[in-house]
Amino acid sequence: MSWALEPEGGKVIELQPPNSKLQINTNYSATLFLSLHRASPLPSPKRLRAGRPQRKAEGEGFGNQNIMVSYVKWISSSKQSLWRTIGLFFILMGPGIITSNVDNDAGGITTYSLAGAEYGLKLVWSLIPIMIALIVIQEMCARMGVVTGKGLSDLIREKFGAKITFYLVIGVFLTNMGNVLSEFAGVAAGWEVFGVNKFISVPISAFLVWLMVVKGSYKSVEKVFLIACVFYISYIITGVIVKPDWGNVFDQFLHPRLSFQPSEMTMLIGIVGTTIAPWMQFYLQASIVEKGIKTEDYKFARFDVVFGAIAVHIVAFFIILVCAETLFKHGVKIETAKDAALSLAPLAGKYCTYLFAFGLINASLFAASILPLSTTYLICEGLGWEAGIDKKFIEAPQFYGFYSLIIFLGAGIILYPSFPLIPIMYFSQVLNGMVLPFILIFMLLLINDKKLMMNYTNGPVFNIIAWVTSIVMIALTLLLIIQML
Amino acid sequence: MDQGLKEFYFFSEFLNRRVFDTTGLKVGKISDLVAERAEPYPMIIGVVVRTRGRKMFIPWEKIIQIEPRFALSETELIDLKSPLPEKDIILLREEVMDKQIVDTFGAKVVRVNDLHFLRVDSRLRLVHVDVGFRGLMRRVGWEKLVDQALRWFFSYVLPNQFISWKYVQLLSGSDLLHLSVSQKKLSHLHPADLADIIEDLSGRDRSAIFHALDTETAAEAMEEIDPKIQKAIMETIPLEKASDIVEEMSPSDAADLLGDLPEERAEEILEGMEQEKAEDLRELLVHPDETAGGLMTTAYLSLTSSVTVETAIARLKAGAPNLDIMDYIFILDEAEILQGVVSIRDLLTAHPHQPLAEIQPSRVVSVKVDEDQNEVVEAFAKYGFRALPVVDEEGHLRGVISFRSVLGIGT
Repeated sequence: MSWALEPEGGKVIELQPPNSKLQINTNYSATLFLSLHRASPLPSPKRLRAGRPQRKAEGEGFGNQNIMVSYVKWISSSKQSLWRTIGLFFILMGPGIITSNVDNDAGGITTYSLAGAEYGLKLVWSLIPIMIALIVIQEMCARMGVVTGKGLSDLIREKFGAKITFYLVIGVFLTNMGNVLSEFAGVAAGWEVFGVNKFISVPISAFLVWLMVVKGSYKSVEKVFLIACVFYISYIITGVIVKPDWGNVFDQFLHPRLSFQPSEMTMLIGIVGTTIAPWMQFYLQASIVEKGIKTEDYKFARFDVVFGAIAVHIVAFFIILVCAETLFKHGVKIETAKDAALSLAPLAGKYCTYLFAFGLINASLFAASILPLSTTYLICEGLGWEAGIDKKFIEAPQFYGFYSLIIFLGAGIILYPSFPLIPIMYFSQVLNGMVLPFILIFMLLLINDKKLMMNYTNGPVFNIIAWVTSIVMIALTLLLIIQML
Repeated sequence: MDQGLKEFYFFSEFLNRRVFDTTGLKVGKISDLVAERAEPYPMIIGVVVRTRGRKMFIPWEKIIQIEPRFALSETELIDLKSPLPEKDIILLREEVMDKQIVDTFGAKVVRVNDLHFLRVDSRLRLVHVDVGFRGLMRRVGWEKLVDQALRWFFSYVLPNQFISWKYVQLLSGSDLLHLSVSQKKLSHLHPADLADIIEDLSGRDRSAIFHALDTETAAEAMEEIDPKIQKAIMETIPLEKASDIVEEMSPSDAADLLGDLPEERAEEILEGMEQEKAEDLRELLVHPDETAGGLMTTAYLSLTSSVTVETAIARLKAGAPNLDIMDYIFILDEAEILQGVVSIRDLLTAHPHQPLAEIQPSRVVSVKVDEDQNEVVEAFAKYGFRALPVVDEEGHLRGVISFRSVLGIGT
């Protein structure tokens, strides 16, 4: 129930005792609309959280918040441009780095491991063009987020209408569901290396992931995610432990060899497909918007994106390197990331196995936290439902409903004994490939919309790069689909 | 002219519908409907037809038939751009469909799924926007299917979720600019609700709303907005408007807001304000956030003890629009030292000709300006006052803390 006023109802007098909202319309003074849930003696929890008094409480309760506030103030008043620049970057970093790192999820690690084990360092050169493609695409998303202040699904809905958005949402939901499945499979596999049964590890992980988002705020969640990014170092350490022949590594980068052998092409397309996925564009743009980055500070967001893309490919490179130096050299055949971890023990020592498995768990959990959330935001925004982790269940039932469904369905399916995981993953990859072209094309149309982007549309040179990237991406994913069918 | 109109229409029934001329040849497809920009229920004045890649406007009078098929009397179409001034019309698909709007009745931001028209004589008028799941399914073309399925399995009839057009506030810039009437829809909202709505919007829509709101409403809403978003808005709106808004805000909220802005910007805003008000704010800005001084406001009424009750009430009435503290009058001596506090209850129950000196209580509770905020909360809890005076070491009244400002501290 909510209070109501006839707009033509004449002068409205508001009697506002400090703690309740009571409105009387003079023309209908007999009718008194009083909102039940608004008349509570305290402001609603959201107000308390968002409103001013809370800030003081924060300053008092958590010393670091206070430090953060004064840090931000110091940065924005600092005259020395270098410090100002570096400081601002640390405040504004996050979305790009997180999105890119989630890219190295269970599926990504598996693909890189397989590439390294089967082809050695032969495909390692491909990381450089893929990185450039990733930067180009992510940069456009970041720019749209900063300039319009709206999520990608919002923009698609507003420009292309409800019908297209609806089918797109279904498509992205299905592919993301497949990805979530593979993340939980990754969690199960990673823990099995340490001897933990999947019936223990998967339910606990699912519950933790669910809890973190339902009970946390964006700020705290982002911090957890940034810490998770640091743990990718475990792969770099593993890479150093196996003592690769660095001369050969550089040689591979300098002399890329492209062969059109079908199996090699499939692997190459697989690497591309796992690195540039539809959900990333939605997630990146949404978190840029959530962070409220201003147009003047856009350069920091761009740096964040570039930095993230480079970091993620360094990790990917080390995964390939580890598998190439050990498994490929000794001709060990593997099928999954878990195989890769286990096969490392006799060749490079058990610590390598543990580090590798730890990296897998970290990556899977990380992605399992982000994917369901990103999917839920996308569904709710596209279809016009209330969304946001700061809303109560009753205010946003679809949001919490979908979020819980994705996590518990994802975890539940993994626990089901004879589930056909491999065909499902294939299907999800095919869908991935079918959805991606549409999203890339929509993005290019949106970013060149003068009315929307004003002075921030693509320049001619960048537009050519972006279109070429997109067309190559589309061609490769179509190839992937054709091969799979 | 009988066009065979049904009683009700949805926008989705028109969108992409084929249009024919009198001879039965296909002219094109409908890509938009044009409504007049008028209140409360705008009339549809024409359709936009996409024909051979061009968009053409067809006035409603040229349509001879709608049911069973859409036919035009002549094919001489008008180019969309020329005859239509933007401020008199709304292009429904471009500006309303799939966009976010403010539902000023339910006080929230929603997305439009469909539009609902009612036939009045031979014309259609826009009466509702549809924001429900049924509307969405209708757009996708699954309405019948979903409806039947829900009826069959759950005996559940999927309801329409309509919002009357008179409660709809569009957020597209052009509407906020052109239609002064519609701004009033937003002013009907409670400031706290308006603040919630503004927080939900994108940066661009926020500035558009703040441009359109009158200063008073903008200031009231601003007081309720999240500090981080407050800051972002203050940095985007023109300086003059910012000064006006801050001037209208309650001093304690205004000081908090200015304290968050970069110093130069805060100084510019202060310079654009009334001298007196700016002085007050500068004084408040000196105090750290977490002390009594950081919580207080200077918009209270102080009188000397010789003033009569009658005069005091008159002064309170006259000053009311600018006062944050209405519950108490503070009594000072010539040296501005706090002598007593008289509540509005004391005033109403006293004889009109009594001087305040006779009704003021002998003891007055106050807090020191550098007192920690938690002590302030305790004082409120202990005495149950609605406001507490703040004094300096010598007992001069420096400001007053409203109990609203301490809500939430320590939770």
